[in-house]
Amino acid sequence: MNLYVYTLRRLLYIIPVLLGVCAIVFFLFSVVSPDPTLIMLGKHASVQQMEELRRELGLDRPWFIQYLDIVKSAFTFDFGRSWSTKQEILTMIKQGAIPSLTLSLPAFILSFVISITISLFVAFYRGKILDKIAIFGCVSMMSISSLAYILFGQWFFGYKLGLFEISGYEYGFPDFVPYVILPGIIWIILGLGPDVRFYRTILLDEIYQDYVRTARAKGLGESLILFKHVLKNAMIPIITYLIIAIPFLILGALLLESFFSIPGLGAMTLNAVNASDFPVIKAMTILTSVAYIIFSVITDICYTLVDPRVRLK
Amino acid sequence: MATEQQSKSLWQHAWETLLRDKMAVVAMIIIFVYMAMAVLSATGIIVSDWAAEVGPSYGAPSLDHWFGLDMFGRSVLAKTIKGTEVAISVGFIASLLSLVIGVTLGSIAGYFGGRVDEFIVWFYTTFTSIPNIMLLVAITFISGKGLKAVILALGLTGWVSLCRLIRGEVIRHKDREYVHAASAIGGGNYRKLVKHILPNVTHIMIISFSLQFQIAIKSEVILSYLGLGVQGRPSWGIMIDDAKLELARGVWWQLGAATFAMALVVLAFNILGDALRDALDPKLKGK
Amino acid sequence: MSEEKLLEIRNLQVQFNTDRGPITAVKGVDLDVYKGKTLGIVGESGSGKSVTALSIMRLIPDPPGKIINGYIKFKGKNLLDMSLGDMRTIRGNKIAMIFQEPMTSLNPVFTVGNQIIEVLDLHQSHLSKEEKKNKAINMLDLVGIPAPEKRIKEYPHQLSGGMRQRVMIAMALACEPDILIADEPTTALDVTIQAQILELMNKLKEKLGMGIIFITHDLGVVAEMCDDVAVMYCGRIVEASDVSTVFKHPFHPYTKGLMESIPSFDSTEDETKARLKTIEGMVPSLFDLPKGCSFQDRCPEAIDECRGKKGPPLLEEQAPGHQAACFNPLK
Repeated sequence: MNLYVYTLRRLLYIIPVLLGVCAIVFFLFSVVSPDPTLIMLGKHASVQQMEELRRELGLDRPWFIQYLDIVKSAFTFDFGRSWSTKQEILTMIKQGAIPSLTLSLPAFILSFVISITISLFVAFYRGKILDKIAIFGCVSMMSISSLAYILFGQWFFGYKLGLFEISGYEYGFPDFVPYVILPGIIWIILGLGPDVRFYRTILLDEIYQDYVRTARAKGLGESLILFKHVLKNAMIPIITYLIIAIPFLILGALLLESFFSIPGLGAMTLNAVNASDFPVIKAMTILTSVAYIIFSVITDICYTLVDPRVRLK
Repeated sequence: MATEQQSKSLWQHAWETLLRDKMAVVAMIIIFVYMAMAVLSATGIIVSDWAAEVGPSYGAPSLDHWFGLDMFGRSVLAKTIKGTEVAISVGFIASLLSLVIGVTLGSIAGYFGGRVDEFIVWFYTTFTSIPNIMLLVAITFISGKGLKAVILALGLTGWVSLCRLIRGEVIRHKDREYVHAASAIGGGNYRKLVKHILPNVTHIMIISFSLQFQIAIKSEVILSYLGLGVQGRPSWGIMIDDAKLELARGVWWQLGAATFAMALVVLAFNILGDALRDALDPKLKGK
Repeated sequence: MSEEKLLEIRNLQVQFNTDRGPITAVKGVDLDVYKGKTLGIVGESGSGKSVTALSIMRLIPDPPGKIINGYIKFKGKNLLDMSLGDMRTIRGNKIAMIFQEPMTSLNPVFTVGNQIIEVLDLHQSHLSKEEKKNKAINMLDLVGIPAPEKRIKEYPHQLSGGMRQRVMIAMALACEPDILIADEPTTALDVTIQAQILELMNKLKEKLGMGIIFITHDLGVVAEMCDDVAVMYCGRIVEASDVSTVFKHPFHPYTKGLMESIPSFDSTEDETKARLKTIEGMVPSLFDLPKGCSFQDRCPEAIDECRGKKGPPLLEEQAPGHQAACFNPLK
């Protein structure tokens, strides 16, 4: 099978998955969820009031029409209006995307650079005491609740030392910078444990391959082997890991944004949860899922392009 | 018979490897102590008086109260111990739920193949496309806040990677000779699956269970912070959430105690998980 | 006639630390490699033959492995005393090695040409870029790869196993090494390809005049390829001499067993020619070797002495230039 057929098939598989995502969203929010009118109007609403609201929200229509609405929104991104702010959801998303990305994008890139550097270092000293300390450090860091990092970081660096802004946001460069430094640092620290551990595993998988022995037999030095031969092979799973993480950047850092009062998509989602704002929760779920699906297709296709080995099945 | 004996010695060997790993032994002891605390506190033998006021509001750690006191003058130590109840029950039941779903779907997909397999693969592909946090939020939200909702949400979201692994293993084992031999002597599908294939993937279940356990404990804390967690009883998540307002007053002990209590047991599960993987199936490394 | 001795190994001992305690994989091996000659090392897996070969290159993975005793002198200089930096100027340059697994021994993400040129970059950096490229093409031509100008731009996965092993050979010979170590170079290949590669190696030996260490589990291949042979069992050399002497009169029952298990071997005794024999039993685990001779449990000639407390038999001259380690050598 050639690349075009493979790509086409991979693209076509988006459709059933997307329909599946819509079905799950529909099932969760329209079938098993508590009656939204009850949440919005409170316990003392009259039956008539509820009927009216149902009609207004379009909840009285047949179920398959409601399902089709969700499917349609996955393609048009027209998610309707928020129940709580009454704003157009797409506009809210556009507004929220900027603060989210100013926090998540630099943090994401820096986090990658730092983690991969450390893991190369650790892989170089594999089996030695430094490696063992690093691994234990990673596992320990992963064991501490992310909330503890955020709370402690905010209190110690922001409040106690007064080094950084601890709350709020301003639009435009460079005004936003002071507000994203501390959450950015915390983001990087949060990622350190799992990322270093993952990259190290990938690198070590490659280090024990036969071609590394060949490279040594040729007279190559360890650092050249690591940086040239091993890294180039390890890049493939690493890129996959990275691309798959990108869709989650849209959500920003749900917790970080809410703690540091950054008006991004993460904070917006949390607000929607607290306000039982179904349309916004649904919109964010669909949006991130669509992004995830698209990026996983991109990864698969990249894979076939980057790796000369891949035989298409 | 031969396979049975072989697998027995395999388990024995794994157990011996595990016991030789000092870190793993320490981890098992820690986990056992937590379990014991959870059981003792649930049956009211210890810390049944956790809600009692034993000193001033926000009393600092002292010889009498090692971990200090909270806003209502309650012992933070007692609350932390009481918190194991929620953590362990969430961890245990949620990972059990994930295990059952993952193994059932994974083995059905792997064993029957064809349309059934395609459907299950489609289902978990779809499921993974939705960010976990959104699913967690949606499920807790729908099933009403509280302990049951948290367990349900974590159990219903944690099965995918196990399902994938089991499916792969079952496909690998399906065509092995001993399974064919079982059909030759007239074993039905169910019998073949349960008696001959599943025992060969038990190690994956154990490793996954220990991994899922700590993920559940960590997630419970976050859900509690989001206001979707347990209510009206001490949990580490609620304690950490309370600390949000306390830190500015210099009250760090509630955060410290809950973080430490959680980190220790999660670390123990992490170490045990790695040790189990090394002992039972070195091939799984890094997956 | 005196021959130029390239490599002298004496009392080489290699230990591995495992979960179940240390094991000695190589227990005092002596070997000599001469210019223009091929030395065959024969043995089953676990006999220590590959470990011996890797020790010469100092490629034993450390940890868990360690050379604990002995010396390896290359042209009079002990390789084991060299700094890692000096060792690297030897690897791929003076001593080159090819491996058993042609499918995985090349780096999948670099082109064939790239990987050959890399050796030249390291050891012949005085050459210009163009010269290196031409040399890479010449080397591919030398090992019988058709259309080498095109092939250097291809990736390993585009080549067959036999072709890949040819590339490995080209890469190994790019710097005209004094010694080529071939660790079961044909085991993973089809029989016809195997014959082609062996023929190629013989041709190249004559052309380039290097010494070859040829590691195999197949005495038949040794008969075809080698001048001298050393038979290894459980980390020790059990028999060593030149090939025709050993084949004419093996002293060690293990060697005889190996000879009888060669399908096409022309035995002088007609009655054994018809049936193929195998050596009964399995190689004992290095963790619990029997006292005395390691081969005792599989040996048809074993006597009480072999199981005794005297320890394993030592390699002794049984006939001029022909050594064997056996308490009850064949007559």
